Amino acid sequence: MDDSFTMGQHTSQQFDRELEAVRTKALTMGGLVEAQCEKAIEALVKGDGALAEAVALGDLPINALEVEISAECMDILARRQPAASDLRMILSVIRLVADLERVGDEAEKIGRLAAALADSRTRSDFVSSPRHLGSSVVSMLRDALDAFARLDVEAAVAVAARDADIDQEFESVTRLMLTHVMEEPQQVKNMLRVNWCARAMERIGDHAENICEEVIFLVRGSDVRHLSIEEIQARFAPGTPA
Amino acid sequence: MTEPDHYKNTAAIQASLKKRYARETRFKWYGRLAVMTGFLFLFVLLADIIGKGLPAFTQHFISIDLTLDAATLGVSSTPDETELFAADFGAVIKRGLRDTFPEVSGRSEKRSLYRLVSAGAEYELRDRVIADPSLIGTSGPVWLMAHAEAGSYLKGQVDTQLPESDRRVKDNQVAWLDELRDQGRTESRFNTTFFTAGDSREPELAGIKAALYGSLFTLAVTFCLAFPIGVLAAVYLEEFAARNRLTDLIEININNLAAVPSIVFGLLGLAVFINFMDLPRSAPLVGGMVLSLMTLPTIIITSRAAIQAVSPSIREAALGVGASRLQTVFHHVLPVAMPGILTGSIIGMAQALGETAPLLMIGMVAFIMDVPGSVSDPSTVLPVQIFLWADSPERGFTEKTSAAIMVLMGFLIMMNAVAIYLRRRFESK
Amino acid sequence: MSAVSVTANGTGAVDAQAAAGEESAGFDIEHAEATEDFETTGTPFVDNPKMSARNVNVYYGEKHAIMNVSLDIGQNEVIAMIGPSGCGKSTFLRTLNRMNDIIPICRVEGNITLDEEDIYTSGQDTVLLRARVGMVFQKPNPFPKSIYENVAYGARIHGLAQSKAEMDEIVENSLRRASLFDEVKDNLDKPGTGLSGGQQQRLCIARAIAVSPEVILMDEPCSALDPIATARIEELIDELKEKFTIAIVTHSMQQAARVSQRTAYFHLGRLIEVGETKDVFTMPRHQLTENYITGRFG
Repeated sequence: MDDSFTMGQHTSQQFDRELEAVRTKALTMGGLVEAQCEKAIEALVKGDGALAEAVALGDLPINALEVEISAECMDILARRQPAASDLRMILSVIRLVADLERVGDEAEKIGRLAAALADSRTRSDFVSSPRHLGSSVVSMLRDALDAFARLDVEAAVAVAARDADIDQEFESVTRLMLTHVMEEPQQVKNMLRVNWCARAMERIGDHAENICEEVIFLVRGSDVRHLSIEEIQARFAPGTPA
Repeated sequence: MTEPDHYKNTAAIQASLKKRYARETRFKWYGRLAVMTGFLFLFVLLADIIGKGLPAFTQHFISIDLTLDAATLGVSSTPDETELFAADFGAVIKRGLRDTFPEVSGRSEKRSLYRLVSAGAEYELRDRVIADPSLIGTSGPVWLMAHAEAGSYLKGQVDTQLPESDRRVKDNQVAWLDELRDQGRTESRFNTTFFTAGDSREPELAGIKAALYGSLFTLAVTFCLAFPIGVLAAVYLEEFAARNRLTDLIEININNLAAVPSIVFGLLGLAVFINFMDLPRSAPLVGGMVLSLMTLPTIIITSRAAIQAVSPSIREAALGVGASRLQTVFHHVLPVAMPGILTGSIIGMAQALGETAPLLMIGMVAFIMDVPGSVSDPSTVLPVQIFLWADSPERGFTEKTSAAIMVLMGFLIMMNAVAIYLRRRFESK
Repeated sequence: MSAVSVTANGTGAVDAQAAAGEESAGFDIEHAEATEDFETTGTPFVDNPKMSARNVNVYYGEKHAIMNVSLDIGQNEVIAMIGPSGCGKSTFLRTLNRMNDIIPICRVEGNITLDEEDIYTSGQDTVLLRARVGMVFQKPNPFPKSIYENVAYGARIHGLAQSKAEMDEIVENSLRRASLFDEVKDNLDKPGTGLSGGQQQRLCIARAIAVSPEVILMDEPCSALDPIATARIEELIDELKEKFTIAIVTHSMQQAARVSQRTAYFHLGRLIEVGETKDVFTMPRHQLTENYITGRFG
């Protein structure tokens, strides 16, 4: 614990515990979602049908956690009437779990598509073409959650900037699929499935960017949603005062 | 930390409860005892005073056949007022008495007979005749005020078993009075003299009116001086004066003044008001001034307390709407403080009413027969009158003393009633 | 115990970073000398101030109660003053209509103006000042007189009504504006002290506005009232700001957040931060404000 952070605890220690519990649960949910994404991509790339099925079912505990955290946030809002940093914490946790739930849905989608691909027994190398996109997205999600855990604005800005790369990679996967379609028209259905997976990964990247924006809102108090990454960088990149 | 044993605790508390309640009950009884003792003393005191004082409110009259002939009176057949004024009504009464008891002979026996009737009877008779001169030349029974000793026998206060030398009503007087009573020629009436006359050497003629008026005048002067001065001083000290060493000094001095023995104020009054300012001696004016000096500290202290007790929020409210300080004090603070100020003032006035010592110093202890007509007439006051009567040896004065105390207490109760009435009025506003 | 220290670390980091840009964050308020130059965070000044205070210092005997406070109160705004007990917010409020004058040991330095006129010059009449700057107090304090008299009193001493009819009108209008008229119109001759707490406070507000002041100071006007009565007063404050400029001291941060446009945070005699209420309650810029608003002990 850094001594320069001389922020006191709340006069109500129960409030401290409640806030901490909700934050910890949100990060736990983040961990679960991250693992789902990893597994989904692995199942897709390796053509592992069983793993894909497991991923498709793994969304349930995440949904349950989302409901639980939302309820706790509402409870805190109603009973503690948080203000300032506490209020921003609760708001960003609410938004964070919404994003995480969507990410979970995307992972589930990838899982289902991976299972379908594994069933079709058409082992082709195009199936593993979003491998790099997948690992980029997972690491971006992990870093975004990390920035949230550490309340690290600089990291958040840097992670958010990576969404542009993700978008580019998705574009190239799509182009790759188009060339495959021309080569093997009979595989169009599977190729579309792969492209949908890539599309889901791109969406996960968008949600990761949202998470980064929550971090900035939480720490700096300004809402940066719908700002371009350049504007965000101009305002919050290292060295610029708040 | 171990968990408290709730069952054990409950048992312990229950065990101690009985003891605590017993202590409480005992304490209640001590309190009741104290209150009852106080009441007992009060009751004994009141019963004693009332028992002794009540007979003073009745007076006996004796009916004697009188002949109001001009010769005995020593006047012409159609006398004018000045003539009647000098007429010898005593002779008429004496003759009437001798005629009623013709067997009486000898100087001392006759004197003893004459003493059945009050010395004031002849003056009363004179006044009656002056009012109605046609009575001259008539004869018939006339009710005459009995002498105090005779009256006290008729009231049954004289123990005839005592040897004659030990009592003031002699055997022959007892026989005459018994005879008169048997003939239905004695009568007990309400004692109006007590309320209409001033002091007298004769108990049956002595009244409280002079002292009552003296007290009234004195208190009026005291109130008129002490109340406005005291309240204004309190208001100034509380609301306007700066808090500094001077005001502290004044405050200490006022507090000390309240503890000064009252006789000192009497000395001061004698020195300043009578010797230096040459005001009349024995007058309610000077008495009131001296008593107001004595009452001032009490009024100032209680008024300040009453003003202090007014919630500061009232002051703030008034100042907040833009009232000046004077308006704040007179519109809001004083009306709220008034019940307290009045209570303090009444306490002060009650003290003044009962005060004797300082008045002795300024000559209000003199024997005054006339009812004072103004604050500058010589007069006496109730407590001094009580003091004077208590000093007199005659039996008639003993009951008068108690009666005067009753009047004094009645006066106090009236003052308190007025105070309560005023308080109610101020509080309801 | 470990959960608590994690919390301090976790949420504390937010605020530490939030305040990182503030040069005043490291200012040691507890031990600062009174003379030291301390800058209020935020926007203490406005374009068209109704009242403005500059470098105000208040002393109670030896105690330095208000340290170098400068603050503007804008035309027709509701400004809330918040802060822990003993922070000087009430004292500051009372300097605005010289209510502190009645405390002999109180000394005020600095400059306070009402419509650009200094209210602390010797020529300034406090009676006139208090007619222009009215006050509502913490405890409802109606005079122990009738409801009518309570409202009429100020107008009467200032001679604002020429006739009984005019006075009736002033009383009725004031009671209406304090949204009390309908409740008391049949009982105007009943004592004001017989009303409920909330009604009494509205009566006090009616009494204050009967003099037609320009500014109304409210010193914790709802601290003795229940939530419904409080809500009515807050509603009333909202209506009154059309006509009056209102400065309100409150212990309830929610109340400050609800009724005010600007909020000033006082701490140990200093004005720490002033800003738009919505900013102060979502994103305070000073660490001490943050601590107070979030209920932390610093």
